Amino acid sequence: MGITRDSRHKRSETGAQRAQYRKKRKFELGRQPAMTKLGAKRIHPVRTRGGNLKHRALRLESGNFAWGSEHTTRKTRIIGVVYNASNNELVRTNTIVKSCIVQIDAAPFRQWYEAHYAQPVTKKGARSKDAPEEAEKTQSAHVKRTIAERQKEAKIDPLLESQFQAGRLYASISSRPGQSGRADGYVLEGKELEFYLRRLRAGKAKHAA
Amino acid sequence: MAGTSGGRGGTPGSLDLTREGEMLTLYPLSSPLSSHQPTAFKMAEQIEKSFQKQPLFHNTKFATSSKKVGGKDRRWYKDVGLGFKTPKEAINGTYIDKKCPFTGEVSIRGRILTGKVVSAKMTRTIVIRREYLHYVPKYNRYEKRHKNLAAHCSPAFRVEVGDTVTVGQCRPLSKTVRFNVLRVSKAKAKTFVKF
Repeated sequence: MGITRDSRHKRSETGAQRAQYRKKRKFELGRQPAMTKLGAKRIHPVRTRGGNLKHRALRLESGNFAWGSEHTTRKTRIIGVVYNASNNELVRTNTIVKSCIVQIDAAPFRQWYEAHYAQPVTKKGARSKDAPEEAEKTQSAHVKRTIAERQKEAKIDPLLESQFQAGRLYASISSRPGQSGRADGYVLEGKELEFYLRRLRAGKAKHAA
Repeated sequence: MAGTSGGRGGTPGSLDLTREGEMLTLYPLSSPLSSHQPTAFKMAEQIEKSFQKQPLFHNTKFATSSKKVGGKDRRWYKDVGLGFKTPKEAINGTYIDKKCPFTGEVSIRGRILTGKVVSAKMTRTIVIRREYLHYVPKYNRYEKRHKNLAAHCSPAFRVEVGDTVTVGQCRPLSKTVRFNVLRVSKAKAKTFVKF
């Protein structure tokens, strides 16, 4: 094996060079990084210590994303990697890692919202079809009441609304694709969303200039 | 904008339009407007390229917690046990440090040691010096020895060279750091007695 995770090759705390007195051991092994890209799903299982399995995702195209404030989760397509705090190269090559910011398809969340709140997500009704108006079946009194209750909480953040208009939401990956084989995450909201939007803007401005 | 929504508990200032039927207000992305509210903390603390936060969920739509916390966002902190008081700065402060024993994800277990601070030049970590006497049987006498120890120092503490400090063992935080500052026992004598 090439990659090890030992500390015997490093200098000690005082700076002394440590003599090598034994060979590399199997329990210190490390493996090549997954570098999961965007594409048709390709996952390789890896046998690990103790006979356990890790699912190394080499290519992924969708993931399970949670919309925290609305408490729903939907499986969505990942469109592209947009920001990575550690390495811009990973953004350029569309590599999915934990805690990178991606754009996801907003359609499943919009569908959930419109079913739940019986309201279009965006102000411009052009995107959300007018069909719901006509297909409005007679609702029972109970349904009407629940919908009326929900209308009170139906307002969503303007930053999110503009993302819905574009059809893409910003999300952060919170799983480790190289370990679990999945790219799951959560939709960015609030302060975190502002922070990353600002970073993205600054990045674009620097490139434009 | 921050003023009106400042009266509400729950979600951070500039985004809270849930209750009032306000028009969509154009709010600037940098928030110098939140001057009188403690919400400005998040922006001042975000030095790194990724968003620093405690692993809590901050974006509930509903202002369920009726208690109006001083800062808009909830802050999580814990009691490290063993009789150590968690400092006020940790509870009320705005720093994010995942290695802080009070507001981060490390637990203190094992040894508790004390020492004198020798160097505080590293970001968030210090070097302490522990002196002890070693007995030499042949001469029936002692010799002075010392060992240096690297310890992580939370932003809740203001530590200077020469302070006495109590540290507790935690899991490895870096190559050499396995301890975490729990208490700054004695700040250096403020009044310099100069004769």
